[in-house]
Amino acid sequence: MSVLAVAAKDYRDAVQSRALWALVVAFVGVLLITTYAYVELPEMFGPTGEATFSGLIFFTTGITGLFIPLAAIIVCFKALAGERELGSIKILLSLPVTRSNILFGKVLGRAAVLATGVAVGLVIGLGFGAILLGSVAIPTLILFVVLSLLFAGIYATIMVGLSATTGSTTRATTLAVGFFVVFELIWDMVPLGVVYVLNGFSMPSSFPDWVFLVTQLSPATAYFTSVVALLPEAAVDAGVAVGGGIEVDPVEAEPFYVTPEAGFFFLALWFVVPLALGYYQFTRSDV
Amino acid sequence: MPAIEINNLTKQFGDVVAVNGLDLQIEEGEIFGFLGPNGAGKSTTIDIVLDFIRPTSGTVSVFGHDAQQESLTVRQRTGVLPDAYHVYDRLTGKQHLKFAIDIKGTDDDPMAVLERVGIAEAADRKAGGYSKGMKQRLVMGIALLGDPDLLILDEPSTGLDPNGAREMREIIQAENERGATVFFSSHVMEQVEAVCDRVGIINRGELVTVDSVQGLRSATEVGETLYVHVTDFAETDLDNVLDIEGVTSAVLDDGRLRVMIGERPKFRVLQDIDEIAPIEDFTVVTSSLSDLFLHYTNEQQEVRQ
Repeated sequence: MSVLAVAAKDYRDAVQSRALWALVVAFVGVLLITTYAYVELPEMFGPTGEATFSGLIFFTTGITGLFIPLAAIIVCFKALAGERELGSIKILLSLPVTRSNILFGKVLGRAAVLATGVAVGLVIGLGFGAILLGSVAIPTLILFVVLSLLFAGIYATIMVGLSATTGSTTRATTLAVGFFVVFELIWDMVPLGVVYVLNGFSMPSSFPDWVFLVTQLSPATAYFTSVVALLPEAAVDAGVAVGGGIEVDPVEAEPFYVTPEAGFFFLALWFVVPLALGYYQFTRSDV
Repeated sequence: MPAIEINNLTKQFGDVVAVNGLDLQIEEGEIFGFLGPNGAGKSTTIDIVLDFIRPTSGTVSVFGHDAQQESLTVRQRTGVLPDAYHVYDRLTGKQHLKFAIDIKGTDDDPMAVLERVGIAEAADRKAGGYSKGMKQRLVMGIALLGDPDLLILDEPSTGLDPNGAREMREIIQAENERGATVFFSSHVMEQVEAVCDRVGIINRGELVTVDSVQGLRSATEVGETLYVHVTDFAETDLDNVLDIEGVTSAVLDDGRLRVMIGERPKFRVLQDIDEIAPIEDFTVVTSSLSDLFLHYTNEQQEVRQ
């Protein structure tokens, strides 16, 4: 019960964040403009050269994969560190609620806030696209939206988990932004760099399998491959391939981690590891 | 069973010893004032009782429940007004109470509580816009939820005007009459003096003294002082004044006689002085606990140096 009470309080509080809604407005704006461009000029965006609802879904995935991490940072980085720095956590901790329930309540509350923003954006963006296209695949739409909301929840967990490890918002900011830079912006380059170094400072002609594994570790990449795994027909329809920047045919790839289903595994990992880390730190520290 | 039992409690933050070997027992049903200058270790002690921070060594129990292992039970039975807290700026006063009621599982009426602490008219305003005193009243309201067996109040009159501080005292007394044990900290003597059964003075992480207000008074030399304006007073009369029963010291100071008295009623002492030299006027100064407080904390510091 206290988890839900904490979550409800947190939702009421954080859903009023102006920064979140500014970002949602920007998200919707970008979606509307790019959706319009995609429908009118499909050859600029996809190999099929024809605007389809499947194509629109994967096109939107690219934008959502950037928006959700950024929105998660804004909504969640102060979730616990901010409360500890300000002292509002003392009001919460004075009540009979365990630290783990505070952490889980925070994750739930912030995930719900983020999901609200994402849902609003996606409904407007994809609705607009469906009207322009004059076609819509309801099952595809529902699966995609559900997976995106799940991804939002996982990103909220990552950010709340990081926030739980510290009582300083400065450190929380560094952790959140650092995570984004490392795992979202430069991650594709990390395994390639390692291969480059291991290969005697030159690029090999073919890459070992683990490169694909490591590449897919990035949460947004895992989200993208999960969308492919969940909507294989739409993926073929839209001519989408997985494997980050490296072109791999999803059908022919052999090792399990190069298959799209690996995305689910990595997303699950991103749910468990930050939560465990945050739990370990938060339940032990002085607040 | 004591309401709070603290045994050999020590808390270190790096090199700094915030609390050093503290032993303290708060009896059920009493109002206990925990006094000390800023940084003496009051809040650290309270934070450990509530499991906000963990002790370096020593144990704390509340109504027999270990403060670390059974913190949830402790907090279920305790109402807290913490120190250096911050309200949720974007939530209204009523929303604060609602979620606290949800978590604590009590059947309080939020509006009745807000009424009691005097901010009912601000119930639907966001707490971020409250004054310091209103925030203090709001969090006091949260502390009162569920008629707790123990109230822990860290500097309860912070941010309150004299009227607010009086209302706070009245609530504390009413809660105590209901049966609650009250443990509150302050660095202002007068508030402690007004309501407490017993007082503990802490300085530099160590307990300097624990006693009743009366006991503290009589344990120290400071009692009551008479300032007497006398006419035709000769230096030699001073010895006669000193001989009066109950006078512990007498000094002639700028045409004014400063007489400190012990157990004897001051009226009798005044009559005796009047016989030696006619009294024109007089004032009585009762040494407040503030003087005692300064006396204890300064003395302790001198010992340390």
